[in-house]
Amino acid sequence: MNENNPYQTRLAVNKSKRSSTSAVTSPATAKQTQTTYRKKKPVGKMLLFGSVSLAAYALLISNEALVTNTYTLGGWWAALPVGTAFGFSFIHGAFASNLLSVLGLEPKKA
Amino acid sequence: MNKILIILFAALLMTPLVKNAYAEGGPPANAIKGVFTEVDAANKTATIQVDGQSEPRILSFGDNVIAEDVVLNKKVMVSLDSHAGPNVIKDISIMFFEMTLTKIIALLIVGLIGGLLSGFIGSGGAFVLTPAMMSLGAPGAVAVASNMCHKFPKAMVGAYKRWKYGQADVKLGLVMAATAIIGVQIGIKVQKIILNHWGNAGSNLYVSIIFVLVLVIVGAYVLSDAIKLSKGNLEAKASKLALSLQKIELWPMMEFKVANVRISAWVTVPVGLFTGMLAATIAVGGFIGVPGMIYVVGASALVASATELVVAFIMGAWGSIQWGIAGLIDIRMTLLILAGSLIGVQLGALGTTYVKDHTIKLVMAAVMLIVAVSRGAKVPGYLADLDVISPLPRQLASMLNTISFWALIAALAVAGIIISVAMIKGIMQDKAEKQGKLVQETVV
Repeated sequence: MNENNPYQTRLAVNKSKRSSTSAVTSPATAKQTQTTYRKKKPVGKMLLFGSVSLAAYALLISNEALVTNTYTLGGWWAALPVGTAFGFSFIHGAFASNLLSVLGLEPKKA
Repeated sequence: MNKILIILFAALLMTPLVKNAYAEGGPPANAIKGVFTEVDAANKTATIQVDGQSEPRILSFGDNVIAEDVVLNKKVMVSLDSHAGPNVIKDISIMFFEMTLTKIIALLIVGLIGGLLSGFIGSGGAFVLTPAMMSLGAPGAVAVASNMCHKFPKAMVGAYKRWKYGQADVKLGLVMAATAIIGVQIGIKVQKIILNHWGNAGSNLYVSIIFVLVLVIVGAYVLSDAIKLSKGNLEAKASKLALSLQKIELWPMMEFKVANVRISAWVTVPVGLFTGMLAATIAVGGFIGVPGMIYVVGASALVASATELVVAFIMGAWGSIQWGIAGLIDIRMTLLILAGSLIGVQLGALGTTYVKDHTIKLVMAAVMLIVAVSRGAKVPGYLADLDVISPLPRQLASMLNTISFWALIAALAVAGIIISVAMIKGIMQDKAEKQGKLVQETVV
């Protein structure tokens, strides 16, 4: 089955050749190993979440008086501050996560 | 996962039974919020429109209140003097201070470093955020409420990240949080007894002494452990106490897979209760919870600090709902701190993947000891209030206050520096190792 496969034969030839010579690395091989798959940085995502987050902050600060009054009415109104903090944590948290990735800060891979 | 859902559901069902179950101390009872519409200096009264009530209410001035203290048409929090009568003002504070650019920047920076710290050691931030907000002009109760409301989303993001790195033990976190909430109730009861017996100054002194004692003893122990580990370059092992406690086969046994611990509930439950009791007393439960999980339960510092974030999320969410119902959250402050701390917490979380166990212990010990200095500086003032020692000269009193404040900032700065240096070292070492591997592979 392998006989018709040109790659297999070629690889085998290469292997036998290398084992007979001393361990000299060919530059082509070295280059190939170095340009392995590199993760793309999520610049677009960062900008998207960043602008949504910024807009949310701008909206909140421009309506400061209204927001501070309704958010502190107490009782069931408590859902507003708690919900808002929850919402911001998703939007701004996603921005922060992408920001760190763009800056090249990734967790160590075991 | 199903078991976790059942536990959560059971906790939800039990909520109505413990309506007043507070997380880390509850909102003040003798305070009302509203807007003053009129002030009558001659009769020493003021008319206030209280939130949620249609009829205006007339309040009379207490001993220390003058007409200039009453600010019209701004939302205020009024503490009432319940001993003097039903409608006597004890103290007035404006709920929302003017937001200036300097204050915004200060909140962003403190948030960022506070977040970094809690992402790294699981707790922290609260000890500096609440005083920082108060020094910017927020009333104490609003500062506590706003901090609580920023804590749970931050802890949620941090816990999620560290769970993804395989460090957080959700089951241990749930057990700790549930028992800690019960512990808080016991702590509040003790506080009330002390407040009734010895008044405000006595209560302050009690809190400060417990605070300093606990932080110095636990902090010194954690520090000596961290130094021992870093010198010998040893891998961290479970403490002898934890190992002998794990041998006790007393029903019901609990198994925590991530922490890799099998231990009786008779050990975990008291650790949670004690954490809660101290959280109610000194407001920094994490400083007890994390060492408790390390030295008593037997989890590694990495797992304990990650699990503390799960605990902080649950207790923070619980507390935020209560402070929100009391209507004391200043959402502007909450969100400005979040802007920095959501970045910080993720940075701290990923930093833990590059460091060894002893670095986490070192940061925690350093913070605990410096914060103890900050609170220790306040003890002479409280002793003078109780007439145990003669009143302090004004200069000394203001110097002690300055030391107290700057010690907090120093704690934050020291932690920030240790974490950054450890993280940068770890990242560089990792890169060098990877490059070394690459060269080796190429050569072979």
